Amino acid sequence: VEDPVTNAGSTPSPIDYSPAAQAFRTEVAQWLVQHAPEELRGVRVSRDPVPELEAALAQWAHIMTEAGYMCVGWPREYGGRGLTGVEVAILNEEFARADLPRLTRGMGESLVGPAIIAHGTAAQKADFLPRITSGEHVYCQGFSEPGAGSDLASLRTTGTIDGDEIVINGQKIWTSNFSRANMIFTLCRTNPEAPKHRGISYVLVPTGRGERANGVEFRPITRMTGKAHFAETFFNDSRAPLTNVIGGLDNGWRVAMTTLGNERGGGATTQHLAFAEQFWRLVTEVRARGLIADPRVREQLAWAYSQVEVLRFTGLRLLADLAGGGSGAGLGNGSTSKVRWSEYERRLAEIAMDILGPDALVVGPDYELSYWQEEFLVTRSHTIWGGTAEVQRNIIGERILGLPKEPEPMATRDRVPA
Amino acid sequence: MSLTITPEQHQLRDTVRRFLAEQLPLSRVRDLAATPEVFNPQVWRRIANELGVQSLAVPAEHGGAGAGYQDLAYVFEECGRALFAGPLLATLGLALPVLLASGDEASQARHLPAIADGTTVATLAGLAPGGGWDSWGVDLEARPDGEGWRLTGTASIVLDALSANLILVVAGTGTASRVLAVDPDAGGVTRSAQPTLDQTRPLGLVRFDSAPAVAVGGPGDGGPLVATALDHFNVLLAAEMVGGSQACLDMAVGYAKIREQFGRPIGSFQAVKHKCAEIFVELEGARAAAYYAAWAADENPSELPVVATLARASAGEAYFRAAADNVQIHGGIGFTWEHDAHLYFKRAKASQLIFGDTGAHRRQLADRIGL
Repeated sequence: VEDPVTNAGSTPSPIDYSPAAQAFRTEVAQWLVQHAPEELRGVRVSRDPVPELEAALAQWAHIMTEAGYMCVGWPREYGGRGLTGVEVAILNEEFARADLPRLTRGMGESLVGPAIIAHGTAAQKADFLPRITSGEHVYCQGFSEPGAGSDLASLRTTGTIDGDEIVINGQKIWTSNFSRANMIFTLCRTNPEAPKHRGISYVLVPTGRGERANGVEFRPITRMTGKAHFAETFFNDSRAPLTNVIGGLDNGWRVAMTTLGNERGGGATTQHLAFAEQFWRLVTEVRARGLIADPRVREQLAWAYSQVEVLRFTGLRLLADLAGGGSGAGLGNGSTSKVRWSEYERRLAEIAMDILGPDALVVGPDYELSYWQEEFLVTRSHTIWGGTAEVQRNIIGERILGLPKEPEPMATRDRVPA
Repeated sequence: MSLTITPEQHQLRDTVRRFLAEQLPLSRVRDLAATPEVFNPQVWRRIANELGVQSLAVPAEHGGAGAGYQDLAYVFEECGRALFAGPLLATLGLALPVLLASGDEASQARHLPAIADGTTVATLAGLAPGGGWDSWGVDLEARPDGEGWRLTGTASIVLDALSANLILVVAGTGTASRVLAVDPDAGGVTRSAQPTLDQTRPLGLVRFDSAPAVAVGGPGDGGPLVATALDHFNVLLAAEMVGGSQACLDMAVGYAKIREQFGRPIGSFQAVKHKCAEIFVELEGARAAAYYAAWAADENPSELPVVATLARASAGEAYFRAAADNVQIHGGIGFTWEHDAHLYFKRAKASQLIFGDTGAHRRQLADRIGL
């Protein structure tokens, strides 16, 4: 039977949703019909910020928060909604169907909140979690360092105790979203004597501005596109109360690692949508250039279409299992997915450059790039951040296939660079 | 039915895996591959009687289990893993979908029960000798003869031509192409084996010399029925290739764990580890596509032409990579006749090419998504 609001039932579904899940879908769909801000339809927040929409986006985030659609994966007792992966997927599907951005509280919601929930004290939970949900605290991440990339645990930023405060000194790199953030969650070394994974602490540091300056300085890094996106972050005697250390002193590695796992399957049925949109954008480009009859181009486009569909199929397969009460075990993991989409996106942009032909070689004034030129450059970072493609292959090889680890050279084991 | 594997399907898959491991280990596959027919009638009958594989996608009113292509896909995955040598793909991936899609009740009543119980081994013929993958029916001519038809011409690259006792043939009739059923033992049919690169999958040349034939479906059905057959063929072949890729990955990983060079297992070297990881990533994508295509064959047929082509092309690439890298990871031993790696390598390339290479399928996919 076709549901007039959700459109469910119009085509056969490869997923058997429970009655409760279907009821949740109807609830979300109806809420969206009543509250949808028309000016935000079709807005994609993953791209660069649009200043004239900032107010509308903030208002939409507020409405979503009031209605309980923010931090939905967190347990109810901490201001979340305790949604399962399947329910988050439904939420994403309905927002996508309404063509509205499903806003989140960014890294505060996806990384910091879960870390506090898993490792924080009752007081820390009461203090920090509501500020994330409300949007009062906006976080950026201070993990990587110039000398600690894939080998993050070799980090050198220090944290020293001064009374009831921790004082942080050092340099971080690749900090994104720094211009909006008023808090930075960072890893620093609080015990230089301990083995490298054991002397690290996880600290929430106010970035401070103006009179409340806290010695945190962001210096934007210009990417190969010519635009700044990340920053280098310098801590110069930056202070935070010891109550901002999550999980206890010297226990930060564990805290940082647990934040990387949250509810599974939430993006399973919507992760491919942006890629599908991008694929059809390239088809439009090909048609406009009169190349659509070229057999070689057709083969490349069909390959790209297949890659996007494979993202959809893998998501459907995972969600079908979760919706049926399964654990999703063995149905792909973050590393597999990361390798697939990041290398696909890189290759698609290369194909697009071929299609642009001579136009690919010419940029606008002030190094202004076309969409595909920008993609061609930006996607080189996608196989680097968040664990390089090589690290992901090590993870797949070792954790999934059970291949032996590469023996660490004895001389560098557990050694923290001086 | 959803995309998830049911407990019954799990059981079916395990049963088939155990059966093939016991009855047709690779040593026996090699023995069979050395014969012209590459067919073991006893094993075929046991697959029908004990496992019921031939009946799975046959409707209940014709003596089948009325299950579908999702069940069959899990069976074919196991066939691919074990390098099964026998006419399951020709019978269930080519002849059965032609009969099901023909809407020809008389032909269905005559042939489907015999397919379901394993009596009939069937295939589809039509490619012209020396022709390309699109030469269906061009070298075959049918003319009416009383109640029936007479067929003349030659078909090449006929899967399981020697073991089939029912050959469906795509032929021209002067104005349009149609499908006809031929009993190869009824006279006017000469069959010979075509020695194959992949010795586990037999091909044959079939000559028809005014051979008596019975029409299946109507005039002009030739093209559409071949297209439908190939969509279903591609679903099962994709599943089979997924199973073959898994076997290659298992072999490669197993060897990389125990083979030591420079004082450590070669799997600890990133050069080898990353190859294995890449096989895995591509295989998991191909698997998701193959399962989805099988689901669509049963539950959403309007999507089948797109997803079957897509799944087949993806699985073909994944399988070839897995089989080729498996040879490479095994080093010198992987290049020998004694080692099993080449059996998968040859099966992978033959599977990737049969009835159209990956590029051809991608161009077909482009057509089918409206580019």
